Amino acid sequence: MMTTSTLPIAVKSAPSRSWQVMDWLVRRPSSFTLLLIVLVCGVVGAINPTFYSVANLFDILRASVVLGLFALGVLVVLAAGGLDVSFAAIAALVMYSLTKAVVQFWPDAPLALILLAGAGGGMLLGALNGLLVHTLSAPSLIVTIGTQYVFRGFLLTFIGTELFMNVPPAMDAFGKATLLTLNTASGGQTQLPAFVLVLAAAAILTWWLLERTLMGRAVFAMGGSLNIAERLGYNLRTVHVFVFAYAGMLAGVAGLMHVAANRLANPFDLSGIELDVIAAVVLGGARITGGRGTVAGTLLGVLLVALINNVLILAGVPSTWQKAVIGAFIVLAGAVFAIRRRG
Amino acid sequence: MMSPSNQASDSAAVGTPFLELRGVHKRFAGVHALRGVSLTIEAGKIYHLMGENGCGKSTLIKIIAGAQPPDEGEIIIQGKSYGSLTSIESLSAGIETVYQDLSLLPNLSVAENVGLSEQLVRHQGRLAHALDRKRLRETAQRALAAVNLPTTAAFLGTPVEDLPIATRQLIAIARAIAVQARMVIMDEPTTSLTRREVDNLIKVVEDLRQQGVAVLFVSHKLDECYAIGGEVIVFRDGQKVRQGPINSFTKKEIAQWMTGKPIEDTRYRHVTAAGEPLLTVRALGLRSAFDDASFVLGRGEILGITGLLDSGRNELAKALAGVEPADRGGIELEGQSVSLRRPVDAIQAGIGYVPEDRLDEGLFLDKPIRDNIVVAVLDRLRGALGWLNKSESDQLANKIIADLQVATPDIDRPVKSLSGGNQQRVLIGRWLTIQPKVLILHGPTVGVDVGSKDTIYRIIQRLADEGLGVIIISDDLPELLQNCDRILVMRKGNITRSFRADNVQEGDIYKEMLAEGISKEAA
Repeated sequence: MMTTSTLPIAVKSAPSRSWQVMDWLVRRPSSFTLLLIVLVCGVVGAINPTFYSVANLFDILRASVVLGLFALGVLVVLAAGGLDVSFAAIAALVMYSLTKAVVQFWPDAPLALILLAGAGGGMLLGALNGLLVHTLSAPSLIVTIGTQYVFRGFLLTFIGTELFMNVPPAMDAFGKATLLTLNTASGGQTQLPAFVLVLAAAAILTWWLLERTLMGRAVFAMGGSLNIAERLGYNLRTVHVFVFAYAGMLAGVAGLMHVAANRLANPFDLSGIELDVIAAVVLGGARITGGRGTVAGTLLGVLLVALINNVLILAGVPSTWQKAVIGAFIVLAGAVFAIRRRG
Repeated sequence: MMSPSNQASDSAAVGTPFLELRGVHKRFAGVHALRGVSLTIEAGKIYHLMGENGCGKSTLIKIIAGAQPPDEGEIIIQGKSYGSLTSIESLSAGIETVYQDLSLLPNLSVAENVGLSEQLVRHQGRLAHALDRKRLRETAQRALAAVNLPTTAAFLGTPVEDLPIATRQLIAIARAIAVQARMVIMDEPTTSLTRREVDNLIKVVEDLRQQGVAVLFVSHKLDECYAIGGEVIVFRDGQKVRQGPINSFTKKEIAQWMTGKPIEDTRYRHVTAAGEPLLTVRALGLRSAFDDASFVLGRGEILGITGLLDSGRNELAKALAGVEPADRGGIELEGQSVSLRRPVDAIQAGIGYVPEDRLDEGLFLDKPIRDNIVVAVLDRLRGALGWLNKSESDQLANKIIADLQVATPDIDRPVKSLSGGNQQRVLIGRWLTIQPKVLILHGPTVGVDVGSKDTIYRIIQRLADEGLGVIIISDDLPELLQNCDRILVMRKGNITRSFRADNVQEGDIYKEMLAEGISKEAA
């Protein structure tokens, strides 16, 4: 029997006091996101006090739904060490072809079935991404840049190029359904749309998958190191297909939410949103090289980007400058998170 | 601890075969890596798998761990025969492999690194299961307690990337305990540990053995193998050439079986140089890492620096190379004061630095040997229009590999195709191209086999004879004793003592390294 005395455990290079604040921020990256949100709200509110209104809050939440669904998918792929840029193309393909098919063949299809079909279609396209990434063992960024062109090309060549506004009644009704209606100070009314619940449900599901299942841990294991995860007995093929299929599924649903919210289906929509989404996830503290990221942080990142996209105009910032602000924040966040490596 | 154990625990009878290999062959494109290997591993015994790089050790381990299938042969685990294994089959059968990189996931917490494998194995690798967090925590706590690590919530939640290497080593072993491994394979587990940490590791391993676990070490450090005891299995050219109790063989015998040729294990340093001062270090310090480091290195002198991992030796080495610059004190080279703020300052001053971690910090593994050698002198090799002069760089690289006896058919091969010893020679060769005045070697033979060590030591001696000042930073005391003129010992950030290497015992140096640490820990 050996004597048991616990070894002293030195954590690598204890930070000097001046770094402690930084260190705290870096360990809880989402606190940094929160800080930026407060900062933006403070500045915009100071310049234009009407900013603090329920109507604005509802607007931002409304704008967060599609962005947020995409971001949750990107988070899962990023956590596994990959990067998906095909989600917007998947969303466009699913929403346009599904909406068109429903209008043409079964205009009275129930909402649940439409949503299920959208989720399933997106999942299939995503699974294709996952299989390609795994079997080619190619960088997922390259693979999904490729597939997104294929998806968009397929959509515009074979499905259609014309926007239409006679969306199925079930989707139209869902887009109009409200959760909450409040009277504003100016005498009008403002509504919180019911489809924000879809984002809430997706967030809870994603959190549960990532934090409470073996699959979720396998996702982070793979993001930590592909080789080591393989050696430890994780089935990389399963994980690859899962993360991309999951991102595809959320993209499919996001596409339908886009149609429901705007009550029109335009095959050219949703392009160029990719970088906004990745920006939101990275601003939410996920590590671009994989293995780190939280649902809460991602939601904060989405909120921040939605905030900048929607309210800077209230502070007199021209809309053309919104991108510059997001860009500056990304550089700032990148710098803060990079300090950990050096410190 | 070397007496044959008769205190077998209830779980497994010591001496019953756990794993048997029969006639295992493995070929890679043209290379016959394993040629009909048969061996038996018994429960509750310790084994040392020894052999030079390229002898088939790693291939054997990969086959047992299920990372590669054998071409021919049979693997029998507790009576059950397999043609080949997958990693999850190997794990389920109770075989836990701790590779040199420890196979830990840096981004996951301690608890997850220790306890996740157990749940994965329990579900046969199927991922569609809820994570049992209570079980994860309890498994991790039990296993961590067994290796004397803390079991507090704060420690369980710490990401592994924030922990020092010795702790990670124990975490990897805790994972083996958590999956209730019947056999643990450890690939060079002590490479980056200090002696005290190694002692602790040995204790943990001995505990495992007493519980009926078979332990297979892969190591180049003969002294440690003797200290641990058990059986030695010697490999050469893909075949098992010897197996038996390690204490019935001499070091020389083992080294000869490994290399197939006699090895001399004597002091390499014969002349003691009395050259004029080359490098003068005055009161150098960096934050709390080390303080007031002062010494003089003479022309043609070989100076050893040692100490425990937290002694500041690594930081001092990096400061001298400009990698992590010192924040106080001064450095003079040939009487001229030099400022080493960045690695390029050191290179320009004529100080070459061969880092401890040649894979991460030194070599461009995918790049050709030539590029790795000439990278420090690209300025000199620049031809018209700034293009690299290829014939000149070929010439230089060929000269270096001939000079340092790098075993390679040509300089266009990637560095990763070389064995550890040859990689190290390429790295030393790179610094010879800048015609340095001082060469700093940080752990020059870490992960290098016996035969290759011999060649590297001879190269070091020759360089010193040619007038170079050499500093070797190492915790391999026999290496310092064999090669140096003087050995400086560091403790808690200070150089506490200087020994002449030709009349000091290993034990005295070790005592000096520990002196304060012991009294403090007793308190």
